[in-house]
Amino acid sequence: MRNLKLFKLGSIGLLPLWLGLFTLLPTLLVAVVSFLRRDETGLIALAPTFDNYARLLDPIYLKVFGHSLWMAGVATLLSLAAAYPFAYLLSRVRPAWRPVLLTLVVVPFWTNSLVRIYAIRSLLAAKGAMNDVLLALGLIHEPVRLLYTDTAVTLGLVYVLLPFMILPIYSSFEKLDQKLIEAASDLGADRLDTFWHVIVPLTAPGIAAGSLLVFLPALGMFYVTDVLGGARDLLIGNFLKDQFLDARDWPFGAAASLIIIALLFLLLELYVLSRRWLNPGERLDA
Amino acid sequence: MRKGHLGIFVLFLYVLTTFVYAEPPEVRFFNWSDYLPEELLERFTAETGIRVRYSTYDSNEAMYAKIKLLQGKGYDLAMPSTYYVDKMRKEGLLHPLDKAKLPGFKNLDPRRLDQPFDPGNVYSIPYLWGTTGIAVNVHRIDPAKVQAWADLWRPEFRRGLLLPNDMREVFFVGLRTLGYSGNSTDPRHLREAYEKLRQLMPNVRLFNSDSPQMLYVTGEVDAGMIWNGNAYRAHQEDPNLRYVYPEEGCLLWMDNLVIPKGAEHLANAHKLIDFLLRPEIGKLIAEKLAYASPNAEAVKLIDPKLRNDPVIYPPDEWLRNGEYTIDVGAAITLYAEYWERLKAGE
Repeated sequence: MRNLKLFKLGSIGLLPLWLGLFTLLPTLLVAVVSFLRRDETGLIALAPTFDNYARLLDPIYLKVFGHSLWMAGVATLLSLAAAYPFAYLLSRVRPAWRPVLLTLVVVPFWTNSLVRIYAIRSLLAAKGAMNDVLLALGLIHEPVRLLYTDTAVTLGLVYVLLPFMILPIYSSFEKLDQKLIEAASDLGADRLDTFWHVIVPLTAPGIAAGSLLVFLPALGMFYVTDVLGGARDLLIGNFLKDQFLDARDWPFGAAASLIIIALLFLLLELYVLSRRWLNPGERLDA
Repeated sequence: MRKGHLGIFVLFLYVLTTFVYAEPPEVRFFNWSDYLPEELLERFTAETGIRVRYSTYDSNEAMYAKIKLLQGKGYDLAMPSTYYVDKMRKEGLLHPLDKAKLPGFKNLDPRRLDQPFDPGNVYSIPYLWGTTGIAVNVHRIDPAKVQAWADLWRPEFRRGLLLPNDMREVFFVGLRTLGYSGNSTDPRHLREAYEKLRQLMPNVRLFNSDSPQMLYVTGEVDAGMIWNGNAYRAHQEDPNLRYVYPEEGCLLWMDNLVIPKGAEHLANAHKLIDFLLRPEIGKLIAEKLAYASPNAEAVKLIDPKLRNDPVIYPPDEWLRNGEYTIDVGAAITLYAEYWERLKAGE
């Protein structure tokens, strides 16, 4: 009896302790550092300032942020376009098949994403599998250079993040009540109307969740641009890495990270609001 | 009687532990990854009984951040490149070396000693050195057209160059093409170098410092910057790849053994440095890694095929305009800002 109580206390207490020690505390440290000055010899100087935030308004950094948001946005839309029909089909196949197909979606996670990005690089390389196939088919006569383009970066982002889009949408489709679709057609809606006015709104929570899960990580995946983009493009992740490692400007890097954290909270808040708006009766914790 | 014995025994243990504590037989070595044949460390341990706790890093910045945060404690030996030797010695992070404990110091080539990043080699012992120059694929590009850094701006290289993902090396090219020092801290020079490099960007296919030779060998790029050791290895795989010492002067680099300020095993660190200074050990390292050894006695033992290759061991006159990177102090933030502008396509 006592042991059980202790176990409960321990297992419930461990999580806040863990989060406090390894998430909250480091984030607070980052927040403090973002208001200090850079120091050439000591990394940071204890002199309060808002300069780091003011510097972020420089057009060049806005451009980096804008480009990063754009790339992440494109990756999100492409993931959505690929995942939506896939998730729909997944929810329509015979129930016996679903676990198999779901496992296939998840299996790539067993390999580290960095390794998978290198695999894509060797597929797209000048002497890689893709060029070999194209050459063998006689479609090209010289190897084409596919790597180190925005397209390659987008492909990498979509490939790595696609399962995060598929799974929430699939779960929305699974909950979708078939009777509502039949009711729509009974009431005279054609297939397009049914899709737009019934299916899309009902799967919107999945779309929103999936989009968040793709968009936010896409902002930070600096290794994808480094490996597939030839480090020519900067994502916010690259910018942060440069500040902390190369320029040794911890306060400036910290300020930029806090902006990202703020953006994350803003998007999460929008997500919660959109769910309330789409589904007034639903409780998020239900 | 028994109590007395116990007392002596405890005293003996105490003496023993303090003795052992004063200098446990180990040395903590922080080195670049893949930069030392590890069997050499086993040989050192077998010979001296000193255990080597070996850990690796893959950028000067990462090494510096760790040593800085630990205030020079935690490691007995590290391997910064020139500009980080300079920076760390100026910040008091390094321990002066005791040359009396390094009889092998005399093996070193005087031409590689007493350089601006550490005059008199008070803090650092050269380990390997090399140059950064131009690699060109003669199968695609006429090598006669590529003799200088300025040739990288030629229109036929459009989307065909590889540059290192390292702002100091890339700005070195911009600065030297304009006739300035590759270590300039003058904001006007940096501004001009940035403007010059901006015109180079359409020719740049990618920035990479991880495995550049692979990208030359697989035909991803036609030309670009490369370290001479990588160029040597790439040439073994594809004879079409040539290494060019640019007219304006190549970039010289050197990695150096240093002892961080707070090192706890000073005597062992010196023993390991002296072990690495032995001619036969230097020869093994230089042959395995195909970079140039600063150890004149070791070079004499190296396979003549490697020793006589001018890519690795260039004649002195090719190096005359060469320049080591040294620390640029606070100007590094200006470098970083222009670097980001370049990459963001401003």
